[in-house]
Amino acid sequence: MSVNDIISKYSYKSNLDKELLDYNKEISFNGLPNTINNNSINSLSPNISIPPISQPTDFLRAHTDDETNPDCSIKIAHGTTTLAFRFQGGIIVAVDSRATAGNWIASQTVKKVIEINPMLLGTMAGGAADCQYWETWLGTQCRLHELRNKQRITVAAASKILSNLVYQYKGMGLSMGTMVCGCTPKEGPTIYYVDSDGTRLKGDLFCVGSGQTFAYGVLDSNYKWDLSVEDALYLGKRSILAAAHRDAYSGGSINLFHITEEGWTFHGNYDVGPLFWEIKEKEGSFNNVKG
Amino acid sequence: MSRRYDSRTTIFSPEGRLYQVEYALEAIAHAGTTLAILSPKEGIVLLAERKIISKLLESSSNSEKIYKINDQTIVSVAGLTADAEILIDRMRNDCQQYLKIYNKLPNTMQVVNKVCDFKQGYTQFGGLRPFGVSFLFAGYDSLNGFQLYSSNPSGNYSGWLATSIGENSSSVQTLLKQELNANSTESHNDITLDDALKIALKVLSKTSDNTHLSADKLELASLSLQSNTNKPTIKLYTPKEIDNLLNLHDLSKKEEE
Amino acid sequence: MDIVLGIRLKDATLIATSKAFTRGISILKDSDDKTLNLNKKNVIAITGESGDTINFAEYIKGNVQLKGLREGHEMESDEIASFVRHELARSLRSRSPYQVNLLVAGVNDKEEGFLSMIDYIGTRCDLPYAAHGYAAFYTMSLLDHHYREDISLDDGLKLLKLCEEELNKRMPMDFKGLNVKIVDKEGIKVIDF
Repeated sequence: MSVNDIISKYSYKSNLDKELLDYNKEISFNGLPNTINNNSINSLSPNISIPPISQPTDFLRAHTDDETNPDCSIKIAHGTTTLAFRFQGGIIVAVDSRATAGNWIASQTVKKVIEINPMLLGTMAGGAADCQYWETWLGTQCRLHELRNKQRITVAAASKILSNLVYQYKGMGLSMGTMVCGCTPKEGPTIYYVDSDGTRLKGDLFCVGSGQTFAYGVLDSNYKWDLSVEDALYLGKRSILAAAHRDAYSGGSINLFHITEEGWTFHGNYDVGPLFWEIKEKEGSFNNVKG
Repeated sequence: MSRRYDSRTTIFSPEGRLYQVEYALEAIAHAGTTLAILSPKEGIVLLAERKIISKLLESSSNSEKIYKINDQTIVSVAGLTADAEILIDRMRNDCQQYLKIYNKLPNTMQVVNKVCDFKQGYTQFGGLRPFGVSFLFAGYDSLNGFQLYSSNPSGNYSGWLATSIGENSSSVQTLLKQELNANSTESHNDITLDDALKIALKVLSKTSDNTHLSADKLELASLSLQSNTNKPTIKLYTPKEIDNLLNLHDLSKKEEE
Repeated sequence: MDIVLGIRLKDATLIATSKAFTRGISILKDSDDKTLNLNKKNVIAITGESGDTINFAEYIKGNVQLKGLREGHEMESDEIASFVRHELARSLRSRSPYQVNLLVAGVNDKEEGFLSMIDYIGTRCDLPYAAHGYAAFYTMSLLDHHYREDISLDDGLKLLKLCEEELNKRMPMDFKGLNVKIVDKEGIKVIDF
């Protein structure tokens, strides 16, 4: 009897876990690789990216649920889906608008894109107050930089100011997961992911918040650099919708932004309710829902 | 009138001078002479003359002119011994601190630079008296080999092949220049440690106010490389060894003349 | 689950780090670089608490560069490793210690390879090959088996390839490949691996 067998015999399993376990067994019995992007078929190494533990869901619950365990080691940014990606025509930023406090929906009309200045946008996940306060503070720092140096601040520098700031407060309860997005002549369209443990990453595509996995699902599979502006805006909107549909803590409406060298432009607010039916009908998708 | 400008170190006089610093230099000009000669390939000799000598003083046990800073650095002092002790204590401490962090002793220049920064502070920050101390530093490090530096109360320092501080230092330096030119037809680079030792004793015997040199008036030290390990080694000469050297070079006979 | 791996050769040192940046259950980036060049001949690879890693690395780099500037010559591998260990040991007794593990790789003044492994508690060990985290469990036996003191650069890279293959095969997570750097007397090179 292997260690895993012993663990599974004597530990609690949810129905979902049992299903997953059976599903995995089924797949490996068929001899198919249970991974999406693994080219070499190697039965010894299932390449799916899951935490290396027998019960990932239990593990996650134990380590991320700060309601039952305030000392949990990973604090997932709650109740949000935000995304930003770079493409041929600049940057698309899309967010939902739901604010939750536990199971209670506190608001359906939150502005989760913070307009730092006419060139820079910041997104908001985690503590709304923390994000709002520090990103407007970042706006004043950027303006001071402009006055002192007679040129606009780079996205790299702006995001570094924010990450240095949150790092000073590390371990003192700040909770932020944000993307600083902008376009400068020196850098072109640029996105930096900054979070409250002091991480700062440059990248082409990020999804942040409790609905990130759902948004990644749609975004990753449809993303191409050469997307037209129209298609890119739709993809951003569609990815947030996917998350709003599946993630209980995301929803309300979708705010869409597009960033170019000229600065950012707002591309509308879409209520998730009607949008869902509209897209379902247009795409023929969401067939789990009878309409 | 000028009283107004010399009561504090922080105030410039109308001529742009810092009187307290100059007074400190004056104090050093009356201190016992100390001189050093660098043999770039073999090492450094430090020689110092004691000012206070009394038959009642238990002299063999206390050194007042030459101090070891670490395994590769020695200094000799001209000025107020009590002030010097403070700085020497700092240098020793700084070196050990550095050793603890970097697992390596600081280079000679770093030791000198650090203590001189500290000295400089006392010429600028109010209400404090500058350190009435000049040093000769003899050091070895793997980066720059043997080095000889001198420093003064202002916090200035400079590197030398041979130099002197304290009483009669200018005449000692003139003599050193003559002796070194006379001694080595080649460049200063080829001077041996033994030559340096001989010249040092000879020069001091000529310039000293004392009628004759003897071990109880002198302190002598050398820094060189151990021949087998190539590690720096410091030799502090005992009075007996100094006497032997004086006899060897016929310098102790002065009183018979 | 980050991979940080180093192999010391006669006159060079290899350093390899995983490209995946993981946050919670998502891989946020597949081209992350966990190394930082300190000066011409020394590099550190760093893992641990996110945020701390970059900040500590940049703090060390700043101090190494400053000391190089002040003294007119670059800091040496052994001095750097000693300094890093000292900083971590000092930080351990502070209110918020840096929780980072790292490798210092470089070539010293005698142009020999140098590799030092330092953990967040301030343990330092100079080794011919070293790894932090789970990677050590998979690769140490391989390195014990195949490593020789006088190994050539080509053989060193082959050995590293062997380690990567084993990690790809047995690690439960996709680490998105390795960033590999070679440090020799010419400086630090990033290579396609």
